[in-house]
Amino acid sequence: MTSSIAMQSKPSSVEMKQSRTPYLAAFILLAIVGATLPLWVTGNPFLLMLASHAVIAAIVALSLDLLTGNTGLLSFGHAAWYGFGAYLAGLLSKNFSAEMVLIIPLTIVAACLVAAVVGAILVRQIGKTFAILTLALSQIFYALVFVLSDQTGGEDGLQGIPMATLFGNTVASSQAWYWLLYGVLIISLGGALYLRTTPLGRAWLAIRENTERASFIGVNTGALKLIAYVFSAGLASLAGALFVLFNGAVSPDVLHWFESGKILMYVVLGGVGTIVGPVFGAALFTFLEHYVSSYTDAWLIYFGGLFVLIVIVAPGGLFGIGRSIYARFKTGKGQTT
Amino acid sequence: MTLEIHGLSRRFGGLKAVNDVTTTIADKSIHSIIGPNGAGKTTLFNLITGALAPDEGKVAFNGNDITGWTPERLAHAGIARTFQRTSIFKELPVIENVALAVRSRRGLNRSMFCSMAQEKAIREESREILARVGLNGKENIRAGSLAHGFQRALDIAIGLALEPKIMLMDEPLAGMSRGDRETVATLITRLREELGVAIVVVEHDVGMVMRLSDRITVMQHGKVIAEGPPSVIREDEAVKNAYLHGNFAA
Ligand SMILES: Nc1ncnc2c1ncn2[C@@H]1O[C@H](COP(=O)(O)OP(=O)(O)OP(=O)(O)O)[C@@H](O)[C@H]1O
Ligand SMILES: [Mg+2]
Repeated sequence: MTSSIAMQSKPSSVEMKQSRTPYLAAFILLAIVGATLPLWVTGNPFLLMLASHAVIAAIVALSLDLLTGNTGLLSFGHAAWYGFGAYLAGLLSKNFSAEMVLIIPLTIVAACLVAAVVGAILVRQIGKTFAILTLALSQIFYALVFVLSDQTGGEDGLQGIPMATLFGNTVASSQAWYWLLYGVLIISLGGALYLRTTPLGRAWLAIRENTERASFIGVNTGALKLIAYVFSAGLASLAGALFVLFNGAVSPDVLHWFESGKILMYVVLGGVGTIVGPVFGAALFTFLEHYVSSYTDAWLIYFGGLFVLIVIVAPGGLFGIGRSIYARFKTGKGQTT
Repeated sequence: MTLEIHGLSRRFGGLKAVNDVTTTIADKSIHSIIGPNGAGKTTLFNLITGALAPDEGKVAFNGNDITGWTPERLAHAGIARTFQRTSIFKELPVIENVALAVRSRRGLNRSMFCSMAQEKAIREESREILARVGLNGKENIRAGSLAHGFQRALDIAIGLALEPKIMLMDEPLAGMSRGDRETVATLITRLREELGVAIVVVEHDVGMVMRLSDRITVMQHGKVIAEGPPSVIREDEAVKNAYLHGNFAA
């Protein structure tokens, strides 16, 4: 028996071609430009350093998108986990070992454990409450740096971090560092893209779309949000650990709310929930920040303006703009043939 | 399957939205809940499905006390619902709306791995469920761009994907054309006959309710004012009064 529900539906139903092409194109572009960068900036060590910082920023951006892009939970204090990783890895390398293979996993595990405890409370909150509590958390971590200043160096920052080793070999050259960081970014990016295709990743999107409905189809929304929060904190702490080992020092600025704001801007600039977008957003932001701030002290005003513009005009961020250009190009081509 | 509701109550401030409701939903039955606007029908659904906690009373499912269970736990136990205001995943493709529920039923929500074969089986199953509610051919459309009636059908399909033993539908016919209402009514009878799902329907169209239901519970001001098979309800004085006072949006 047929049961087609004969409704006066508009014939122009939008087909959802879940096209992977733009994702793939962006991914390949990123991979090629990124991987070969040290080769074409040999004469400019500064540029390579800036690129390394951009890669670290990209990992943090990715970590926030794991949370916000997947579950819709907006964090105003994501620097908490970035700073946590930086300080913990810094302290471990000063007091325990400079071997990355040891201290980085330790740092990530510690961050995940703490995040699981803190997150269990946080993810029960929604919307504004969650955002405010994440901000409060980052302020607590920030304050802790000063409270424990004989360990952390307080305002002066944590200094004198020994050269990190990887399987016993000192990582000194800036090329080696760049490729190491870049490798971590690509693996993280691949992991985040993969997660999106798994049942967990799809259930996360269901939570972002309609949390209430998700729970009525049997999704334990609290548990899944917590998983996202822990993954996100873990990846942010990895970025922080890499940063401190690369940089050789860390100051409390990494825990400042301003840093959290920047991380959020990377994600919004790139396109919330697009995974690849925030990576580009972070890279672009890092370069722009450097060049614009060398021209004018008022760079923050321009960035604030840009931020507002993006939120209003292109809420999909760079990635959204790219996708619509691609779509227009494609339909345009279709019409001419 | 039986769902027993004992003395269920819920207050909102001074208002007793649901006031000492007791009833039993029999296995494989179509049980309608009718009553004027604000009678407490949706609130009753919310109490049964874990969206709201009752102030007093108890809900038992197959003899087990399920009062205070979370919606996700109830979903896995076999209690599904649809919403008075259509609740779907608007930005996702139609088929993914259903596939999410299929995966959830299969216990995959936290899975970080799913083989191609398994995902294919999930999509195949989702396709069959969509065909059941007349959404075949619309699998890849963005759910939010479906016409209203199709969105309501998708809401039902999502619930069905849980393979529920009982399904609570809050005004599944609301806002539909006459033809569409017939289609959904037929669908409801078929679900009971082919899948053996007990169905609790809130509906304002009394004619439709009379035709469809095995049993009818009439609510007013949070209380059950009458209950019985359609033939009894049709003759009930209290129900007639409720009509005469023009409270019914029949
Ligand atoms: N979350 C809430 N907070 C406060 N009051 C509520 C809430 N939900 C429902 N109410 C009130 O409880 C009463 C019962 O509402 P309910 O939605 O259950 O009625 P209903 O029978 O479903 O009505 P309708 O036919 O209009 O859908 C109404 O007076 C309503 O305003
Ligand atoms: Mg209602």
